Amino acid sequence: MAFDFDPPRPALECRNIRKEFPGVLALSDVSLQVRKGEIHALLGQNGAGKSTLVKVLTGVYRQEAGDILVDGEVVRMDRVADAEANGIVIVHQDQQLVAQFDVTRNVYLGIEETTAAGFLKLAEMRAETAKALAKVGASFTPDTLIRDLSVAQREQVAIAAALLRKPRILILDEPTASLSETEVALLFDVVRRLRDDGVTIVYISHYLDEVLDLVDRLTVLRDGKLIATRNVGETSRGEIIRMMVGREISQLYPKEEVPIGETALSIRDLSVGSAVRGVSLDIRRGEIFGLAGLMGAGRSELALALIGALKRTGGTVTLHGKPSNPSGPQAAMAAGFALIPEDRRHDGLIADLSMRDNLTLPNIAKWARFGLINLGAEKAEAQALQRDLSIQPPNTATLTQNLSGGNQQKVVIGRWLPGHSDIFLFDEPTTGVDVGSKVEIYRQMTALARRGAVVILISSDFEEIVGMCDRVAVMQKGRVNALLERNELDVATVLYHASGGEEAEPGAKPKAPRAVPTAPAESPPGTARLRDAAGFVSHWGALIGMLATLAVIAFLAPVFLSPGNLFDVLKQGSVLAFIALGLTLVLVAGGLDVSAGAISQLTSNVAAGLIVGAAGSAAAVAAGVALGAVVGLVNAAFVLVFAMPPFVATLGVMFVTMGVTLLYNGGQAITLAGEPGFFYLGQGYVGPVPAVFILLAVLTAILHLFLSRTRTGLRMYAVGQNLPAARLRGISQPRYATASFVIGGAILGFSGAILASYSYGASALATGIDYLISALAAAFLGSTLSRSGQLNVTGTVVAAIFLASLSNGLILIGISNQALPAVQGVVLIASIAIGVVRRREIGQILLF
Amino acid sequence: MSQVLSQRSTGGAALGFLRDYGAIFGMLAVLAIFYVMQPAFVSPNNVLNVLRQSAVLIAISLGMAVVMSMRGVDLSAAQIADAAGLIAAMLILHGQPVWMAFVLPVVFGVAIGAINGLLMAYVGVPAIIGTLGMMFIIRSGELIATNGAEPQILFSLPRGITAPFLFLGQGSLGPVSMLIILAVVLFVLVYGLMSLTSFSRRARAIGANVRAAYLAGIRIRWVFALGFVVSGALAAIGGVALASRTGLAMPRGAEPFLLDAFAAVFLGTLFSKQGGVSIPGTLIGALFIGFLGNGLTIVGLGAPYRYALNGGFILLAMMVGGLKKRT
Repeated sequence: MAFDFDPPRPALECRNIRKEFPGVLALSDVSLQVRKGEIHALLGQNGAGKSTLVKVLTGVYRQEAGDILVDGEVVRMDRVADAEANGIVIVHQDQQLVAQFDVTRNVYLGIEETTAAGFLKLAEMRAETAKALAKVGASFTPDTLIRDLSVAQREQVAIAAALLRKPRILILDEPTASLSETEVALLFDVVRRLRDDGVTIVYISHYLDEVLDLVDRLTVLRDGKLIATRNVGETSRGEIIRMMVGREISQLYPKEEVPIGETALSIRDLSVGSAVRGVSLDIRRGEIFGLAGLMGAGRSELALALIGALKRTGGTVTLHGKPSNPSGPQAAMAAGFALIPEDRRHDGLIADLSMRDNLTLPNIAKWARFGLINLGAEKAEAQALQRDLSIQPPNTATLTQNLSGGNQQKVVIGRWLPGHSDIFLFDEPTTGVDVGSKVEIYRQMTALARRGAVVILISSDFEEIVGMCDRVAVMQKGRVNALLERNELDVATVLYHASGGEEAEPGAKPKAPRAVPTAPAESPPGTARLRDAAGFVSHWGALIGMLATLAVIAFLAPVFLSPGNLFDVLKQGSVLAFIALGLTLVLVAGGLDVSAGAISQLTSNVAAGLIVGAAGSAAAVAAGVALGAVVGLVNAAFVLVFAMPPFVATLGVMFVTMGVTLLYNGGQAITLAGEPGFFYLGQGYVGPVPAVFILLAVLTAILHLFLSRTRTGLRMYAVGQNLPAARLRGISQPRYATASFVIGGAILGFSGAILASYSYGASALATGIDYLISALAAAFLGSTLSRSGQLNVTGTVVAAIFLASLSNGLILIGISNQALPAVQGVVLIASIAIGVVRRREIGQILLF
Repeated sequence: MSQVLSQRSTGGAALGFLRDYGAIFGMLAVLAIFYVMQPAFVSPNNVLNVLRQSAVLIAISLGMAVVMSMRGVDLSAAQIADAAGLIAAMLILHGQPVWMAFVLPVVFGVAIGAINGLLMAYVGVPAIIGTLGMMFIIRSGELIATNGAEPQILFSLPRGITAPFLFLGQGSLGPVSMLIILAVVLFVLVYGLMSLTSFSRRARAIGANVRAAYLAGIRIRWVFALGFVVSGALAAIGGVALASRTGLAMPRGAEPFLLDAFAAVFLGTLFSKQGGVSIPGTLIGALFIGFLGNGLTIVGLGAPYRYALNGGFILLAMMVGGLKKRT
């Protein structure tokens, strides 16, 4: 190739790139030139090699052979950072952002601008962010929280973040998948303007209409090979589709004609948020019905909505003449639905369990009487299923994680066969499945259809759709674009409609409701009002509740508000607040420190011991801080080096620390007397104000500055709240998790010294857990006080003081302080419940 | 456990042997040290005594294991045991019939377990937080009921009143102590529950992959909640047994069992091929912790060593488990 004649050197060039995965040649001999300042589309069916090529270009994968040239220079890309250093920036399809951060902090995450002292230059960054947002046509300010933005607006944030990294080559991976038509038009303006500014753009999309509209040149990949590069003016949609499809149907499909019965499943105007927008279908018994479409077309969401695993926002479903709206997969199973999920390894299979356990799981009650399983019958059925589906190896005790992809899929299918399911939803059943198993899976589908079941095949492998289906609905962006009968089916037609074809053919039954307003009405107004109310409660509820509680106390016991009492409360609360601050620092970065209370107790003993040994206050405090930091480091080591869940690691360390404490004090309380200098820390006053409260205020201010205004603080939050996002921005989790454990430990150590001063010595009891619950209650109650519900030091301190006021007030009112633990327990549970109640998870924790 | 056969080829018989049996040899080696230091450690009397005493821990640990097999945790278990013993003792002291002293505490345990289940499974509170909060709520209740931790002493009552209640903790059926019988019965029941029932299959699925279990049509909330109920009931039985054995119930007296139960379950994971929770393993773990505590006392080492060693064993078990997963 004589590219030397071409005066402008290509901005990006791939020469003979080859990338192999075990058993698959993902890219073979791909050579491609992208000119400076053009928009270049990368096209191909699923599995054509586009995403592999992008990953090679961005340093995620390393190619086995071939070179990448940027501006004519060969570059090595071993890490994600190398790509950015060469001016290659990618906007990923599912852009990961930290929901609780504002826009500025998100776009600058990983490339923060700081002063020499390490403080964030927030004003400058905000101004730059505003400029970048203006460039992408965003209508929100840099101070908006990400969680308050729509999907389309988040896409704008992602592009703004890419712009700030000053890309010379910008890769956009399916940027329009979740955008409405107006939003797409807006995005295209942005992309064109970038091109006019000299940025080279690689654009990946499934939507051919968009591509033809936007790009200058395009390259088609198929089966890991480069088919052709064309100027957009010299080609047509037809030609592109021919290049993408290419070969004749290579595989034989065991399609059999099965008599088709009456309509069993009627879907009318079904909507799921903006993912499924008014789908209407009638599906008959004995029919294999295809739901074709590309990733993000809304097919899986449709399936999940049918079984009640996703909330419907509109429409009705009728099953065998009766309305069907299952509350969840369990009810759906009872109604006859069976889902073979798209993500086999995570949603389908229970990989740690045996083939037998998986095969009989949904219908286990069938073999059980009074809950006791008839193990013989159950095992026999599992073996029969293994034989029917010829799952290999035949031993049903094999763990399913050790099976091949095809055999795993047969297990997921097989588990629905013993029941009375008659609506089978196969979601991408043959991805990553060997040819032999594929045929087996197709045979099963046919057998089910022959039994009179409804079989729905969701697939983006259009050969398989054409080969197996009796009728096909092609979906795109949540709508049915076309309904094709068997005699109209061929791969090019399906691809044509899936990639943005015209209106469905006249006469096609489903009237795809194109008239649905483009602004995605994500939920009816009623729920919006509900959400506002919930938002108000979670915003202000905690604070109002706290003030109301204090008002009641003040009403019942007016002495509560006397200055003397208030300062007393501040003093009591400050000690607890110190411990809670230490714990908060660990929680911020996603850790948990069960040993928090135990660390404070150990250091309070050591500090008291040093005072007894006349080492002086400074030494006592310093030793406390140092010891706390060391225990924090030990915690970090167990969590990071041995990959233990924080709960378990710190639980073990908590008990060891408690043992060490008891060894140190020999089971005796260490009582101090006549140490006015040391006691001043915890018991002294500056004027009327307790010295310990002033210390607390100073430390809180420092920590607040540290967490919200420094790079380290920002990254600690990022690691704790959205680890994948932090990693994509090149932030090292071990580093910031360690920092949080050590800083938190040091604060806990410091609080121990304060504790020793406050209580004139150290107690002998192992009260680590008692401090822990107070500190946890303060931290989580404090988190409900912040705008975004995230843990924060000011909230923690306010909550700690509140808890102290509460205990003081209860005693003043005459309620025994024996009720105090219960109050703390209730506060802890309630403040967590506020945050989790709208999620749909159960309270599992990471144990192993 | 025996149904799960490892398909992976073991790299060397010795290594495989060590992996499968290393934990038990390690435990025996630790106990052998006590024997060397104090041969009376293995006297039949002492061994029987430890077995008797371990019944309480076995009950609480088995419940904890059921919850933890679903990736939950029950920090309120020891406190439930505590309160259950207290309820039993107070009922006897107030002249209520003996059957009540056995039944009502268990009803209490089931009720607390149900509230726990509601909170964790239906509201979605993380189990660490929810059960920790519950632990403190129960503690308050105990303190208020006993007017600030007054011990409820049974052994000073006339023998005629207390004998039927104390029989569980102090009596024996023929040559076999009632507590040992209780431990065996509980183990068999829980082992059966976690290997022969449809509950066990569902619980295992939830522990391994809750999303997949949900999509497979399992009522994950219901099953997860049931785990807390089982744990509450077992902890309550353990608490009653403790009160019956010692003849008194002191608020917060059973709290140390929380640590022991954790250590037992985590040590028990060493006996499972995949490093997960195992019921027989938990039994072995609980027995080891029982002998360890006894051995420490015999050689004159007290609570500090017990804390430190238990904590150390939890960390050690997890480190070994981590290595196992890597190989």
